Amino acid sequence: MAGRRRALIWFAALLALVCAGDRILAWALDQVLVRSQFRFSRLYRGGNDAGIVILGDSRGVHSFYQPEIEKLTGLRTFNLSYNSMSTRIAEAVLRDYLDHNRAPRLVVIEATCTIPEGALAGELRTYASFSPRLAALYAEGHPDGALMGRLFHLFSLNSEFYLEALHYWNQSDQDWINRSTMPASLRTEPPGGWAQPRPENVEALNRIVTLLRQRGIEVRLVIAPYWPVPVNMPAIANAIDVSVRRADPQLHVLNYAGAVSDPEEFADRVHLNERGSVALLEILQRDGVFAIHPPAPR
Amino acid sequence: MRFNSLAFLAFLPLFAAGYWLASGRVRLWFMLVASLFFYAWWDWRFVFLLLFSSVADFALGILLENEQEDRRRHRLIALSIAVNLGLLGFFKYFNFFVASAADLCRSLGLPASERTLHIVLPVGISFYVFKTMSYTIDVYRRTEKAERDLLRFTTFVVFFPELVAGPIVRASRMLPQLRRDHRFRFEQMVSGLTLVASGYVRKVAIADSIAPLVDIRFAHPEAHNALSLLLGVYLYAFQIYCDFSGYSSIAIGLARIFGFDFGINFDRPYFSRSFSEFWTRWHISLSSWLRDYLYIPLGGNRGGRWATIRNLFITMLLGGLWHGASWTFVAWGALHGIYLVAQRLLAPIWNRVTGALRIPALASNAFLVFLIFHLTCLAWIFFRASSFANAWQVLSGIISVHGPQLAGIDNRGRIVKCTLMVAIMLAFEAVAFLPKQRKAVFATTEGEKVTVSAHPLEASPALRLVFIAACIWVVLIFGSFSGNNFIYFQF
Repeated sequence: MAGRRRALIWFAALLALVCAGDRILAWALDQVLVRSQFRFSRLYRGGNDAGIVILGDSRGVHSFYQPEIEKLTGLRTFNLSYNSMSTRIAEAVLRDYLDHNRAPRLVVIEATCTIPEGALAGELRTYASFSPRLAALYAEGHPDGALMGRLFHLFSLNSEFYLEALHYWNQSDQDWINRSTMPASLRTEPPGGWAQPRPENVEALNRIVTLLRQRGIEVRLVIAPYWPVPVNMPAIANAIDVSVRRADPQLHVLNYAGAVSDPEEFADRVHLNERGSVALLEILQRDGVFAIHPPAPR
Repeated sequence: MRFNSLAFLAFLPLFAAGYWLASGRVRLWFMLVASLFFYAWWDWRFVFLLLFSSVADFALGILLENEQEDRRRHRLIALSIAVNLGLLGFFKYFNFFVASAADLCRSLGLPASERTLHIVLPVGISFYVFKTMSYTIDVYRRTEKAERDLLRFTTFVVFFPELVAGPIVRASRMLPQLRRDHRFRFEQMVSGLTLVASGYVRKVAIADSIAPLVDIRFAHPEAHNALSLLLGVYLYAFQIYCDFSGYSSIAIGLARIFGFDFGINFDRPYFSRSFSEFWTRWHISLSSWLRDYLYIPLGGNRGGRWATIRNLFITMLLGGLWHGASWTFVAWGALHGIYLVAQRLLAPIWNRVTGALRIPALASNAFLVFLIFHLTCLAWIFFRASSFANAWQVLSGIISVHGPQLAGIDNRGRIVKCTLMVAIMLAFEAVAFLPKQRKAVFATTEGEKVTVSAHPLEASPALRLVFIAACIWVVLIFGSFSGNNFIYFQF
């Protein structure tokens, strides 16, 4: 009996130590997170004063090279895009941005809308304590993880996002861009079709457009280049175009899927590299995509 | 049921409660039923195969003991081996042999039809078949008494901690422990939990974090530069070590909580200075099984140099094949066979050279540890690759030294994290090499002394408390919770 009583006391001590250590360590690691220069840490820290905000998935990251946009437009730019970010997650991120930061004058969205929800949802737990929206999206797809995160705060910091936040602790992540060129093996593959836009993403895109219109923020929807252009790209662009016009009849999807045609300017078939991004941005600047119109006189 | 599943986290406290509440034969029944439930969680149909294997070897054990005539005893042991290897051969190797025979016929220009069957490999079959087979061989050799209690024997075969991926605990170690009623001991529980916690760190935090980095490199070697592929091979060496030693550590720790001593299965293998030392530190229960039931019966080192070389080579080839029904595993075993043979031939020359040049022992040992690790990594390429073509792609990618820039390496943050964890683990292991700290002695329930490998940090229950808490924090912050299977489940 003495051994079992001792074991019970020992287990109670272990539980207390684990919980206390969990809270203390999580608090310390949270301090690192909020001070990082990683885009989401900057978003939730607030105080950003960007004129242009970019939104999208990895195609948004690698098509809209932030330093080049700032150079071309003279406006502060903040790229909120992230690999595998679905439009539903992008909507939550943009709403949080508008809650914590000064509203931008223009939002440019890479509008392909093909990323499913699950790819990035697991990472959201790291910033869930800063955002009820991200917490809800995470709990929707990962109810066990959400419970675990409430029990043990360290679990929420177990993510690729946290590693990124550490990596960008004292350096900006805004110059993140592909610098490689497309491997030869990819260049010989014949062009194929591309996935249709996901309905839930298109719905989220409509809500984003409505929100931005209500806040008086200009919005451009751009389909970034592919190599080669998927055979069904006109149909994809048209489907998104028809849908967003329900939210804003004046708005059109700007299809730049074929704007860059040199494979040397791609890192793979769906992502530009630095050279390709610069080429695209020059075209967009020339076409007035970054132009901000003064408010109409009342 | 996997050790790294939520179901197991619910199963374990229920098992512990039932185990400590019961005693005598009720406890044995409870262990048997709970272990079968643990196994049936994966696929209930194979419970019958498990029971068949147990009952067959139980009956053959008694017949072997009762039989006095040598010829009949030979037939009985041949029957036992045929039953055990027949099960293994059918479930694990049937399709492999059919496909290999068809390939051979085709290469000789003969017509061949490849009629394979859709066979599900029963989890743990390689482990429990070796366990029961060694029992009947021991009874045949009269080094082990036949067990006359079917309940005890079946419990020995199916006891859940070691059922699906070892260690291969032999009857001579386990049956005497099952004859005693273990009482709850606080020190044993804490010691066992320490092993369980360190096992989870190895599996969930290290091996499962490394897994995607390795998978992507072996799936698309052409997309990675030489440095990236080399990193992939190094990482795989630690993935498989942490995965399997993690499983063993959890199994041994669980058994210790309930009063059983399984021995050790891994003893810091990557610090080995020779391949013979490596095989006394890696998967010890399998390598000692192969030594006692294959290498020594083949003649061991008794028949001169060439016979020894032949025996070593055959043992390693079959050891490779035991791991899986693929020629890449055979190649892995063959490489280790070549290493062991080369070591036998070259060791005297090496000793003469180091003696003549007066190379300090520390430098010589460091070089040997480095060499053995890298040759082991070379063999791991074949073990991990999906085919010889895949292995060659990885090897040629490394040898080409094409584009060895850091810039071409993806997931650098994750690689840094994994490397850091492996470095910390190796530092922990290295501490245990300090003199006078390698072994710890604790008392079993019967008051006898058992010597186990121990770490200085495990010296007292209070330190172990901190150690276990630290393990839980590490798992929380670094663990991968994607529910990856243990690599050795497929064997």
